[in-house]
Amino acid sequence: MNARTLECRDLVIGYQSRLHAPFTFTVAAGSVLAVVGPSGCGKSTLLSTIAGITPTLGGHVLIDGIDVTRRPTHERKVAMVFQEPLLFPTMTVRDNVAYGPRRSGMSKADARAKADELLDWVDLADLGHRSIDQLSGGQAQRVSLARALASDPAVLCLDEPFSALDAPLRARLTDDVLGVVQRADIPAVHVTHDPQEAETMAHGGTGGSILSM
Amino acid sequence: MTAPGWLRWAWLAPAAFIVAFLLVPLISLLARVVTPGTLNYLVDPLPWRVAGLATAQALTSTALALIIGLPMANVLTRYRFPGRRWALALATVPFVLPTVVVALAFRALLGSSLGSGFVIVILAHAYLNMAVVVRVIGARWSTIDARLEVAARTLGATRWTAFRTVTLPALGPSIASAAAIVFVFSFTSLGIILLLGDSSTRTLEALVLRQTSILLDFNGAAVSAAIQAVVVGAVLLWAARQRNAVAGGALRTFRLRRPTGSARWAVAFIVAATLVIVLAPVTSLVWASINSSTGLTSTWWAVLFGAETIDAGSTRIGSPLAAMGRSLTYAVVTGLLAAVVGGLAAISVLAHRLGRAFALATALPLGISAATLGLGTLLAYGRPPVDLRATGLLVPMAHALIAVPLVVAVATPTLRSTDPRLVTVAATLGARPSRAWWTGYGPTLRAVMIAAGGLACAVSLGEFGAASFLARADGPTVPLVIARLLGRPGEASFGVAAAMAVVLVIMTTTLVAAVDRGGRRA
Repeated sequence: MNARTLECRDLVIGYQSRLHAPFTFTVAAGSVLAVVGPSGCGKSTLLSTIAGITPTLGGHVLIDGIDVTRRPTHERKVAMVFQEPLLFPTMTVRDNVAYGPRRSGMSKADARAKADELLDWVDLADLGHRSIDQLSGGQAQRVSLARALASDPAVLCLDEPFSALDAPLRARLTDDVLGVVQRADIPAVHVTHDPQEAETMAHGGTGGSILSM
Repeated sequence: MTAPGWLRWAWLAPAAFIVAFLLVPLISLLARVVTPGTLNYLVDPLPWRVAGLATAQALTSTALALIIGLPMANVLTRYRFPGRRWALALATVPFVLPTVVVALAFRALLGSSLGSGFVIVILAHAYLNMAVVVRVIGARWSTIDARLEVAARTLGATRWTAFRTVTLPALGPSIASAAAIVFVFSFTSLGIILLLGDSSTRTLEALVLRQTSILLDFNGAAVSAAIQAVVVGAVLLWAARQRNAVAGGALRTFRLRRPTGSARWAVAFIVAATLVIVLAPVTSLVWASINSSTGLTSTWWAVLFGAETIDAGSTRIGSPLAAMGRSLTYAVVTGLLAAVVGGLAAISVLAHRLGRAFALATALPLGISAATLGLGTLLAYGRPPVDLRATGLLVPMAHALIAVPLVVAVATPTLRSTDPRLVTVAATLGARPSRAWWTGYGPTLRAVMIAAGGLACAVSLGEFGAASFLARADGPTVPLVIARLLGRPGEASFGVAAAMAVVLVIMTTTLVAAVDRGGRRA
């Protein structure tokens, strides 16, 4: 398999009017592009445009060299981790993580086995049977990270995933994310309003960079 | 202690009311059922066959109400667009319309073009009950984070799969609740069945009425009412279990979203469809009240206000104006009675240590159908030794009993939201317990009682089931006169019925709108 890459060419983002000058950048496999800027500058819109949730106003999104600009969200393989964990309330922790593999046609048993493997990655192997309201904030966010990775994404987008957490937990999860991005060997885009967090994410691994908005 | 002593005894009045006008009639009815001859009635195939027909009809009505109501619930409670509040209010209008009015409106709109009574009954039931779907499911939907579906889509789910696997399971209990309510309303339907149905759409409610008023078979009627009560109880119990099956958790309401892209077209389409669906029958009704075979006419309205008379024929229908006066009197008495009894009940729910049990007891009348209530009341108080028929009190008593649960449902949350520390503050400033309590709760209570009384008035104005048992033949209410007019051939009867129905629509919607405004202000 070719090394996975994310490339944005002259990408124009916004809802009805342009939010920012066009973006052009490439993120290589295993590295993190940290996007930093104040609230309301369009950081989250950039991520949702890459994921196909918000339509592009112009330019192109390429994943592994293939233009996916016109593809719907579910065909892009861009997994998102949001500011809040957004776990599915009617499912157990394991079924939340197995959700992506099930959508790609994996059997229930295989998907659950994969979920257990990913829960192990984020050190939550023994919480699979729990209901999501039995998790702490940090645990829920790690389940959300495991869920995103279990779908075997081509790109990982992280939309201020640590902003609701306290400082020690944030440091721990920063390490977790850097570790899994390198382990999964995929490009990641991490949005934050905290310049220090951007610095850590971009330069904690290999080949990362910072984009200021 | 700052609470006045009389608060502890406030429950006595509503308890006495419920015992006298709910339990005594129910016991009278049960006494009829539990006799040595009951077995003969239980093996009679007729009530069981009718129960089967009613179940098929109610299931179909429920399915249609869900199909129409679900998209409306989605658009009206989750998206932000100009006129959203109006559209939501409009979608609620059919639920507050009296059933005879809806029956008449559907006859005016569709005439005999549909042939089968089944289809028109299903349509009318779906129309009446879509507001239940919109309100019950919409309330839950607005607490589900729309981003969950987005998260599902980033994990490879299509829009439909994301809805089916994430949103639908979360909506499950509210869908079960709404479906149970619509099923019960359709299963126990009377006005719609009598005015629009045929042999394929009979309900036990209609059978009870026929057994008591035409066949004079009180034992058979009691058995039919009991079968119906068992089915209704089982369905409501099932819905309660579905609700409890899902773990709760803190619910919060999410901000309404602005529709973008293709969602804009979907929202526009659903809003337009809501307007057409709600307004088409009502417009047909207004048109029927000013139209005759020779063109536009004001005759039907002139008859209504006594300026002209129409041939009374062989069926005695009574004066429309007298019926309107009677209905208004009943409505006012019902409003006063329900406001006082319901208000005291709401205070007891808050103040008494058995408040929760009390709340359940005041909700009991909701599970009892109008025919069961009407028949029980007739058996208990409609013949010697206690014959209250001549007093004219039976109808408002039954209406108040139907309205009390609504009054409690409106009053309790509003009273609960009042800060109890206000009473303490008043007491520390020298107010005696009653004065202090009134200072804290009085203003809210007054506003809520006026609103709840208005709601009870609206219920009474349109109520058909209990009134058809309890009103004297020479003293019909407006819905009964409309039903009688529709039973007679000729365009004059239809025109006058339509004019009366328009008056009823104006009175009920005005009352409900006033209550809504008053409630929001309180």
